Parts: sequence; structure tokens; C-alpha cells
Amino acid sequence: MDKTSRRSLGVLAAGAATTMAGPRRPARAQGGGTIKLGFTAALTGPFNEFGEGIRRGAELAVTEANRQGGVLGRQVELAEVLDDQLVPDRAVQNMRRILDNRNIVGLMCPSGSGPTLAIVDMVAADGRPIINPQAQTPSIVYPNGADKPPRPNVFSVSISNTVEAEKLAIVLAGFGRVGIVHESTGYGVTGAELVKQEILAKRRDARVTVESYNQRAQDMTAQLVRVQRAGAEAMLVIGLGADFAVIRRNMSRLNINLALFGTVGAVTVPYLEGAGDLVVGTKAASYIVLGRRPMPPATQKFVDLYRAKYGTDRWYGPDAANPLISLANTVACGYDCIGLMTDAIRRAGGTDKAAVIRALDATTNYAGASVASISFTPQQHTALRAEDLGMYEMLKRDDRVVLELKE
Amino acid sequence: MDDFFFSLVLAGISVGAVYALVALGLNLTFWTTRALNFGQGSLMMLCAMLTVYLAAQGLALPLAVLGALAIIAALGMFIERYTVRPALKGGGSMGWVVSTLGFGIFLQGVAAKWFGSQAVAFPDILFSAQDYVSVFGQYVSLQYLLVLAVAVALILLLELFVRKTVWGQAVHAVSLDPELATVQGMPVRWIILGSFVASSLLAGVAGILIAQIGGTVDPAFGFDLVLLGFVAAVFGGMGSSVGALVGGLVVGLISKLVGGYVSTAAEHAIAFALLMAMLALRPQGLFGRPEVSKA
Repeated sequence: MDKTSRRSLGVLAAGAATTMAGPRRPARAQGGGTIKLGFTAALTGPFNEFGEGIRRGAELAVTEANRQGGVLGRQVELAEVLDDQLVPDRAVQNMRRILDNRNIVGLMCPSGSGPTLAIVDMVAADGRPIINPQAQTPSIVYPNGADKPPRPNVFSVSISNTVEAEKLAIVLAGFGRVGIVHESTGYGVTGAELVKQEILAKRRDARVTVESYNQRAQDMTAQLVRVQRAGAEAMLVIGLGADFAVIRRNMSRLNINLALFGTVGAVTVPYLEGAGDLVVGTKAASYIVLGRRPMPPATQKFVDLYRAKYGTDRWYGPDAANPLISLANTVACGYDCIGLMTDAIRRAGGTDKAAVIRALDATTNYAGASVASISFTPQQHTALRAEDLGMYEMLKRDDRVVLELKE
Repeated sequence: MDDFFFSLVLAGISVGAVYALVALGLNLTFWTTRALNFGQGSLMMLCAMLTVYLAAQGLALPLAVLGALAIIAALGMFIERYTVRPALKGGGSMGWVVSTLGFGIFLQGVAAKWFGSQAVAFPDILFSAQDYVSVFGQYVSLQYLLVLAVAVALILLLELFVRKTVWGQAVHAVSLDPELATVQGMPVRWIILGSFVASSLLAGVAGILIAQIGGTVDPAFGFDLVLLGFVAAVFGGMGSSVGALVGGLVVGLISKLVGGYVSTAAEHAIAFALLMAMLALRPQGLFGRPEVSKA
């Protein structure tokens, strides 16, 4: 069973007890009561860094909303929190179950493009508002292209492949020959294609070599020597941290020394731990707010809340004063999704889905933890702009690897 | 020699040597029981994860490796006793496929629960990714050489054991006719148990060797390697040690060369194309003997 929320189990148990004890009645109370939100994510499995991260972010946001007296006088509850392990089929089953609960008034997308693409059509058909924390594929929000209207009820705070490509291309266009090594998933393929287009748009004479790999491959020699043979001066890796570590170590074994760049998904703890000191010099685009000093107030508040509850753990990093930049895309994005949803419900004056979507559409300069200022319009359903991303470089300071904001 | 070609060959031989170790592990249990342990991948993963865990508890790395291998050996006994032996009681049953695979999945779950499902860093053993020697002007990674040397040495030792020692002859006898071996007074049960222990140890060593190449290990680690080890075993000839070595090296080399010269997308696919071609043209593999059943 995928159910993981103790509170949800409690609700189920109470419902079952009521059903057994007396006349038949709906297992869950209708109307009033708590404002119920739900989502499915990779809470366990090899990708739970992201799913567990957004769960923590969502819980922090709910706790914070309730501490301030709730929303419209009602407490907020994560009533359905299910585990899909980043498997699209499970995400679909879970989302079906969540949507069958008519008391759920707001949703958050799963971690990862695969599960999110698998569920987004059914959520669009259902019509309840949903916000995407992490999945990067642009078609989640804009199924017919960025110049066409978005899905009416789908919003996003994630780093879209489009914006990330735009940011990375600014730096990579400084090199005449670029190699892109990407994982063979939708995220990797789309990302590579977008970055290539952006580089070529900025520099017509650039030569871009693109190679793919399967997640968890233990040796990337073939990909790397092909990039080397193409004469690349810089290389971008689009994938997850553990695979990036394999690539970096493989580069060292082959004595390949290129300017190395990573995407937001790659520059995470598994990369830092797996590649050790070899990470020094790697550059990556990621949310800018956690690199700023001082941080924006909303970001600082989130960081303080996280550290107070979870301490300096794997997601936060060992340095209390300087949380890992990846905290923004693993945890803060989930915090923002729930914060945006409750803010919209508050402004809508209720939980009617059409009213909440109208309120989300009217979101203006919402102070987020991952994105400093979030605004949506009926045409613009993505929060992140290129200026919300910064280029970081990994440096060694006091025997510790740190990410320093460069531009 | 062309740098490009040389890099591909070196990487192909190194990963091929690991496939050969896995193939040999599969062969060992095939000799004695005609069963394959498809939980080998999880044993590879668990050995690497236990090494990380024991080292993190303060054990010196060599002791951590030995401790992890000891646990894996014990698990090998468990697999023989509780997943294979019961399945083989029904003559001709293929239940061991499900039971060994199922036990492997169970081990993955245990590892995820115990160690977490995130990839954890695996320490360098003897050499780091930056250590190299220069051979004819070529940059040769010592990590690759270590993998190759350990794998080839283990395979040769095992071959010597089987060919030159009494116990090796006993293993050979059990592989040919276990009932006659029992009648002759050979401790068939112990020989079978020993084959599972040795097979598990080979999986553990393969796991450690490949984990230091990648630098990380997670609970899902190892599954692909068992598939490729299986391809190597079938290609070389099921039950043949030389076949396992040649099969592993051929699969590793061809995969890397195709990945380098044709397309990286075809790197894994070519291994399975080789498997299909071998099964169609020479089902017993390069060094295997055709099965003959007497009426």
C-alpha cells in the first residue's frame, strides 16, 4: 500500500470505524472541516531525494499556515500523500485515488517529468488546481507550445527546461565547441535539445555534440571519448547527481579536462559525495535566492523553519549558515506550491475550484522561498524567469566544497 | 595507437572483466545445481553498501571489505538453503528463477530501509580516479587496471582450483552426475553449498570493483550488471570458465566500441543483439558443450 501519511491513515481508520459502528454514511466529512490538499510523489525509492523533499516542504507550509490561524478560519491538512517512487503508472493510480476524494481542493504535481506528464491530463480534465514543484518539461504547463495558452488549472514553480536552457546557453555560447551528455529520459532529451537550440541561436558557428546515457550506467567512456573527439571545450551534463558523479570520475580516469557544467538536477548531494573533490570547478544553474546574502526574507524564513524542524540533515547540508543550494529545488519548491495554493484559497474566499484558479491567475509578487517574487496571469502559469536562476561554481573552502554564486 | 580506440578498448576490457566475474558466479551454481542465482545483482549491491556502512562505523577499509564479504557468503548459504534447495525438490521445477529473483528484490527492500534509498558515496580502494600509469604514451587508469587484474586473477584461480585440486574434481563430478557423486561418497550437499558461497563472494567482489568505478552505490545497483553477466555467460557457454572470461570481455569490448564508433544509444542494445545471435547460431555458446540427454 502506498499510503504514507499517518494523518491520512488516521482519517481512513476513523472512517472505517464509523462505517462499521453505525448506519452507512460518507467516510469523510463533507464541507467545513479542514482544507484538504493532496499529492503523489517519490517518497521512497532511489529518487526520494526529490519526493521526500517536496513532502517536507509541503508539511512546513501547512504547519506554518495553521500556526497563523489557518486559512479562512479553517486548518489546512495534507489529506492524501501517496508514494509513487517516480513510477508513472503508480503516479496515475495514486492521482486517480486522490481525485476520487472530492474533499481534496488543491493538488501538487509529483516529482519528475515522467509521473507528472502521466497524470497531468487527468488533472486537467478534473479541473482542480494543481501546482508543479519540480518537473521541468515545458509541455506540462504549455501542452501546445509556449506561445499557446497554458492548461487552465496547471501552474508551476519549477525550473522549466526552457528557462534553464536559456540561462545555461548564455554561458555555454562562450565556447565554440560544446558537448552535451544527457540521460535518456524525457527530461534529458528535451533539456539537451533546448540547450542546443539556445546555443545555436546565440552562436551560429558553435558545434554541439550530443550524447545520451541510461540512468545508473557505471561507465560512460564511450560518451566521453566521443565528446572529446569532437573537440569540445565545455561539457554540460543533464541528469541526476549519482550519474553526474560517474561521469566526473570517468572524466578523471580518461584525463579529460573540460569546463564542466551541470543542470539543477545534477548538482545535488549524490554528485558532491560521489565525485568528492573532483567536483571543484563544476558550474551549474540553480535557484538564485539561496545564494544571495542576505537571502530574501521569505527564503530566510523557510530556511529557518526547515533547520528548526530537521536540523542540518542531508537536504540542508552540514553548514547551518549556508544551506545547500539544492534545498531550493528539493524542498523549498514544495513549500511554495502549498503556500501559493493556500494564498489563492484565502484570496478566493473559499475552495471552489474556479475561484481558486482565478485567484492563482491573479497572483502578484507573492514572496516565495525558491523564487523571490511569483506572479501568474491567465497566460503566464510559470513562476520562474531566467533572472531567478544564478550560475554557481563549486569551490573548496576550509576543506569543504561550497557553491558560490558567480553571476 | 589512436587515443580514442585505446580508451574504448581499456574501458571495454575493464567492465567486461566485471561481467566475466558475474558470469562465473552464475556458472558456479549452474555446475552444481543447474540453477542460476538471479539475486546476484542484489548481493553485489549489498556487499558494496555493507562496505560503506562498516567503513563509516570506523572499521579500516580492508576489514570493512572482509566483513561485507563474510556477510555476503552467509547470505549465499541462506539462498541455497531456503530459495534454491526447496525449489529443486520438485524435479525439473524452474521455481528457483522466481525465488532467487524474489530474494534479490527482498534484499533491495532491506537495503533501502536500512541504508536509505539514496545513492551513497563508495570509497576509493587502493587507487583514486586520478591515479594512472603511462603505457606507450597512453594514459591508463589504475582503477581500470585493478578491476581487470582482480577479475582475471580470480577467474584463473578458480579455473586452477577446478582443474588441479581434488575438491575441484569433486565439483566437476557433481556437475556431471550428482547422484553418482553421492553414491561415491562425495559430500554433494556441502559442495553445492560451497558453490553458492563462492558464487556470492564473486558477486560481492564484482560489486566492490564496479562501485569504486562509479563512485556511488544505491539499492537498485547491480541489476543491469547481472543481465550483462548473464549475456556473457550464455555467449561464452553456460558452465565454461574460459567462456565466462571470453564472453565478458567480448560483451564489454563490443559494447564500448559500438558505443564509441556507432552510437552510445546502441551500447547496451548490442549486448542483447549478441545474445540473440548466439542463441540462434550456437545455442551452447562459444565454449559450451551441447546438452545431451539419454533416453
